[in-house]
Parts: sequence; structure tokens; C-alpha cells
Amino acid sequence: MTRVVVSGLGVVSPYGTGAKTFWTGLASGRCAIRPLTAIDTEGFRSRIGAEVPADVLASLGPSRRRARADRLAMAAAREALADADLSPTDRACAGLFVGAVGGGMLEAEAWYWEETRTGRPSPGIGALRAILPSTHAETLSFRLGLCGPKETVVMACASGAASLALGLDLIRSGAAPLALCGGVDALTRVCFMGFNALRLLDLEPCRPFDRDRKGMSIGEGAAFVVLEEAGHCRARGGRAYAELRGAGMTTDAHHVTSPEPSADGMVRAIEGALTAAGRTPGDIGYVNAHGTGTPQNDRVEALALARVFGPGRVLLSSTKSLVGHTMAAAGSLEAVASVLTLQHGLVPPTANLRVTDPDVPFDCVPETARAVELDAVLSNSFGFGGQNVSLVFGR
Amino acid sequence: MSASRRVAVTGMGSVSAGGIGGTAVVARILADAASPIRPVRAFETAGWPSRLGAEVDDAALEGLLDPAAARRLSRICRLTVAACRLAVEDSGVPRGPALGLVVGTEHGDFRSSEEFVTGYLKRGPSGLSPMIFPNTVMNSMAAVAAIEIGARGPSVTVNQATVAGDLAVARAAALVRDGRALAVVAGGVDEMVAHVYRRLSEMGMLSPAAGHGREGCRPYEPDHNGVVLGEGATFLVLEDLESARARGAVIHAEIRSAAWGNVPVAPHTAPRRRRDLRSPALRALVSAGVAPSAVGTCYGSGNGDPALDDWELGLLAADRLPAPRSLASRFGQHGGLGALRVAAALDCLNKAALSPTTLVMVHGLARGGCRTALLIDRAA
Repeated sequence: MTRVVVSGLGVVSPYGTGAKTFWTGLASGRCAIRPLTAIDTEGFRSRIGAEVPADVLASLGPSRRRARADRLAMAAAREALADADLSPTDRACAGLFVGAVGGGMLEAEAWYWEETRTGRPSPGIGALRAILPSTHAETLSFRLGLCGPKETVVMACASGAASLALGLDLIRSGAAPLALCGGVDALTRVCFMGFNALRLLDLEPCRPFDRDRKGMSIGEGAAFVVLEEAGHCRARGGRAYAELRGAGMTTDAHHVTSPEPSADGMVRAIEGALTAAGRTPGDIGYVNAHGTGTPQNDRVEALALARVFGPGRVLLSSTKSLVGHTMAAAGSLEAVASVLTLQHGLVPPTANLRVTDPDVPFDCVPETARAVELDAVLSNSFGFGGQNVSLVFGR
Repeated sequence: MSASRRVAVTGMGSVSAGGIGGTAVVARILADAASPIRPVRAFETAGWPSRLGAEVDDAALEGLLDPAAARRLSRICRLTVAACRLAVEDSGVPRGPALGLVVGTEHGDFRSSEEFVTGYLKRGPSGLSPMIFPNTVMNSMAAVAAIEIGARGPSVTVNQATVAGDLAVARAAALVRDGRALAVVAGGVDEMVAHVYRRLSEMGMLSPAAGHGREGCRPYEPDHNGVVLGEGATFLVLEDLESARARGAVIHAEIRSAAWGNVPVAPHTAPRRRRDLRSPALRALVSAGVAPSAVGTCYGSGNGDPALDDWELGLLAADRLPAPRSLASRFGQHGGLGALRVAAALDCLNKAALSPTTLVMVHGLARGGCRTALLIDRAA
């Protein structure tokens, strides 16, 4: 089996730019969820989220005509490629997998709002060119000189994790020695309004796995990793943060928005990832949970973990309690968090967790990060449409 | 994962402007020279630069879907579910964890996004429908289709202009080859929506671009002057060859290799003279162990977009591949077209007086540089 390592990391998160900034925020347990400013929240139940600060966004390069999501993606991707120290030749043979949902919707919404409200043609029609999620991949591949297979994966909140799973397959198939993989989503009005309409947003910062949790908090960001065939990385003197050992991808085929109550689909994804990694449940010391904070998701995910690992047999925590649910970016942000957890031997906490739900029979590392020696970790991502993706990383 | 499984095509289902059905119906539609492209009936085009399209007759969907279930689905989800169901029935592939699904789409469920937003703009937060919101996510078609056909393996939605269906079939072939699923239902879907049609028309993407010449879809022709939109869903069943044989499935063809790549050009552009140094078409041939001369027929993604047509002709010529045929003039540009081209390739292999060693290539190229190649062979 071809071994695939993570050789570069790049992040733009509500903490700011850079994987180091992201890790510092996670390790500190500081919650980045606060009142939203990027979109109008007047009249909605929940008015909070985790957005990339305006000054950080302004620092992301000169092209302000580019969609907000494209700018997030470009900054994170550039950092990952620079971190991996790839030559132009290496870049030219790199595949590109982008998990995306909203595309350039934020700018297209503004155009549509204006035309509808005024009844007159808006000059902002150019925003439509960047509305599709696939625009991110076009922008990245052109600007960064990536000539390998290119794919835009839309798998709702599992998109970012799926980009890594498919990148792993690509490298193992021999079609490319390396790939830039990750996800991106900017805040959009449609997303904010939709989750409000579904009453899935907490009025306070989300509290995954808490007995009194009320829902999720939305967020935005981008995270990319360079996946690379281990021998290729070694031969060029690259650094391996961790190894992506296996991935599981399944579908509930049960309901569009609700997870399958028995957790069967999640269990199959987790077990599939473990099998692909050649690992047993006992090898996993920590699970970076999907952990949205909605009553239903957390309960079913806990059930899945209990079925695979046994109650209390593994540590888990939720990155979303710190940086919100960043939609298509979540799976890749959490992949980066998992890799850095392995590297630092420090498990980031679940913020805002006061009393753990009795239906969640696990130590969810409340409030404060914990030092733990780890050999392998699991990262879960689940999404609308019953999409389940699990990734296993090892040292 | 087991390495390098062989990939068979064991069924298909199509809901297009040409007709609705499985393998036999698709073969009949492909043999029919008449194009269903005509003036759009679903919405008013008066005053817009373009007026033609290839529309699906919704009445023909009746009987394919349970009426109560169909009422809960958006139109593009109905198209997807109907085509996937036809494909699964055509193939007889079993439901379950070994069955995956890949949906390619250019625009997704734009109609639902517009409806969702319009509710808010008219009535504020109280006008937002929690029932419509999930449809605004582009994987909603895959979500409902997976439930319908019992696909509990990987379910992937790929977003890509022009070659969404080609990419979906290539992705599915990789999922089978890499052992992620024993079978995958794969293809593409799009629907015509007034807002998208009008804006593309105003942006000069549709024939007659900039008002030059007569309106129509004429891929690779000297007077091509833009795209004509179509709509519909076409899905194939791709299956591990040995599994398909073991269950006694009818094997229509084998996908000898599938490759895709990227020519790094600016988003939405098609620079006619730009060469491809990592041609996926050549990689597909190398992977299959054959020379370009083994390709007797090539189906291309030419859709009447002058720059894109010319670019594709240049790239294929550089790879010493035959001049391509297009189906866009028959069905209009939409996400299902890639799977229809694979169906045409199957038909070509079965009917044409080609040498037994001759293969068919299904080639795709999009503005922005995404390029795909599927090498289709007779079932061994």
C-alpha cells in the first residue's frame, strides 16, 4: 500500500491567517464565535457566528474584486504550498481537490438583492461568474500552477474531508505523486438564513456534547493540506507532519437532513477508515468529532463512537465549539487540527462544555486542552444528504 | 482497497429532451437524427438575445415516480431520481453499502436557491422555507437519489462546467477501480431555469453570441456562435467487471481507462492555442496500453462555444486523435451530456463496423481547463 503523508498545511480561520495562529487559538480554548458583521442579521433568532475578522480579510492580498471565498481559499492554499516547499515542477504535477458549497454566493446574493429590491439591472452582474463552487478550483489551479487532476467536491459539511479522501485515492492510484486538498466556505446569507429557518442555530456560542446544547454556530474559513506520496516527499527533502493512513466514505440513504438514528452509516465510515488504515479501535487515542452542537447530530455521533470504540474508550472534542461550523471547510480545518494534535501531543478542548450529556459517554475534554501521547487519531465529518467521511491520521 | 479492478457498464437511464428510458430507449434516441432543440416553452424569452433550448417534457415523468414523493422533490431532484432509478432497473444492480453514486452538475438546484431567497425578499425571515433550504446545497440531488436507489456506499457530487457528466463518470470509474464501491451509478443532471438562461444569454454565452448569425448549436462548425442550453439527467451503472459477471449482468462495455486533468488557464477562459503538456487523453491511452491509432471514434464536448470548440479540436489533433463528434447539437448543453456521450460510444461499438481492436474515446474540455478522457471498449 502506497503511504501518503501530509507535507504542508495552510489555514485561514476565524482566529486569523496561518496554521500556527489556528493551532494557538485551538490550544488556548478561546472561542471565536461572536456577533456577525459580514451579513445583516436583523430579525433572525440567532445573530452570532465565527467570521474571519475584517482586518484579516483585508490583509489577504490586493485583489478585492475576487470573491470572499476565493480569497480565503487562495491564502490557505498558498500557505500550504509554501509550507511544503514545493518547486514549480512539483506543483505542475499536483492534483487539486476542493471541497466547496457556497462558492461565490455572498457576492451573487448582494447583486440579486439589489436587482430585486430596486427593480433595475445592477452593475454587479459580474459576481455571477464566480458563483459556482468550481470557480475556486479554477482560480487556484491557474494562480498556483497546478496541472494535475482537478475536482470540485460538493458533499455538504463533509466536503473538506472528502477532498482529502479523494486526494489519498488519487495518489495511491499512481495518477499523481501529490495533491493539494482542502475546503473553503465564506459566510453567505443563504446559509445563515437556512440554518436559522431550520432552527438549528444556538442563540449562544454552540456547546457540542453539552446536556443543554441548543444547536450549532456557523463559521467560515479555508484549510488546505499537501498530501504527498511518502517516498516523493522524502526524496525531495520534504517534511512529513503526519501520515494519512485511511479514509472511509459512506452514505446513510436515510434522510436529507437527519442522520440515520442507528448511526449505521457513520459506523461504516469509521470502520472503513480504520480498516483502510490497518488499525483497530484500540489504536486510536483521540477523535476530532464532527460535533456540531445540534442535539440530534451529537447524540448519533456519540452512538456511532460507542458502537466502534466502546463507551469512554477514546477522547473526543469538537473544533466547531471554537471556530464554528465552517461548512465545506470544516472537514479540512479539522484534518489540520487532527494533524497538529498528533504533532503536539495536545488535545484541543471542547469550548462551552459545562455538563456532558449522559447520552455522550465520553470524556469530551471540556474547556482546557490536555496533553496526551497519541499514535493515531480519527477525524469525523458528516453532512446533509447523509454523507459520512472519516479520516485516520498517524504519526 | 484492492488495486485496479476492471470497470464494466451494466446499465443506463436517461431523462432528456430526446426521451426517457433505459438502454434500449437511449439507443433509439441516439439513432433518431431529429433534434429536440426548439423555442423554449417553460418561460418567456421575448426580448432576450436567445430563445432556443432542449427541454424535458415533464408529463413523460408521470408514472416513473410515486406522485406523493414527487411532490416533495424539486424538479431537478425529480429528473435525477427518475434517471437513477431507470439506470438501476436497467442494470439490476443490487442496493446496499457496495453501491455508490456520483452526480455531476453545472448549476445544481438554482431554482430552489432562487425560491428560497425570494421568500425572504418578499416576506422577511418568516418567508424562509426550511423545506427548501436543503435543496440550495448542490448535493441535494445525490441525497434524494441515494435514498431512492439504496446507494449506501460513497456518494459524491462534482461541480464542473461543460464536462460535469464526463467527470462524474471518470470519478465513478476511479471509485470502482480503487475498491471504494463494487458498483457506482454515475452521470449528470441540470435543468433550464429562466434566471440562469437569461443571464447566460445576456453575458453572450448562448447562441447567437453577441447577436451574430443565426441561433443554433453547431459544434465545430465554421459558423458556431454559442451554446444552446439543454436539460435532463443521464446516469450509467459502472460495476466491477467480475462482480457483474458473477451476478449474470448484461455487460454493455468496459471502461478501459479514465483520466482527467487540468490545463491551468484563467477561470472561464478557453485560450485556443494553449497546449496541454499532461494530456489526460494520452494518459488514458498509456494506461490502457494502446496507441492513439487504436481510437476509431471520438466523442467530444464541443457545444458551439467557438473558443472552446477550437481549443478542443487543437488539443485532440495534437494528441493525434480523430476529429470528434458532438451530441450537444442534439440534446443541448447540460450536465447529463457526458453520460449520453458514453452511451453513444457504447452504441457505436456495438453497431459500427469497427475493427474488434478499435476503441472509442469520450473526450471533454471545459473553459477553465478541466479536461477528461474515457476510453471505452467492447466487453471482453
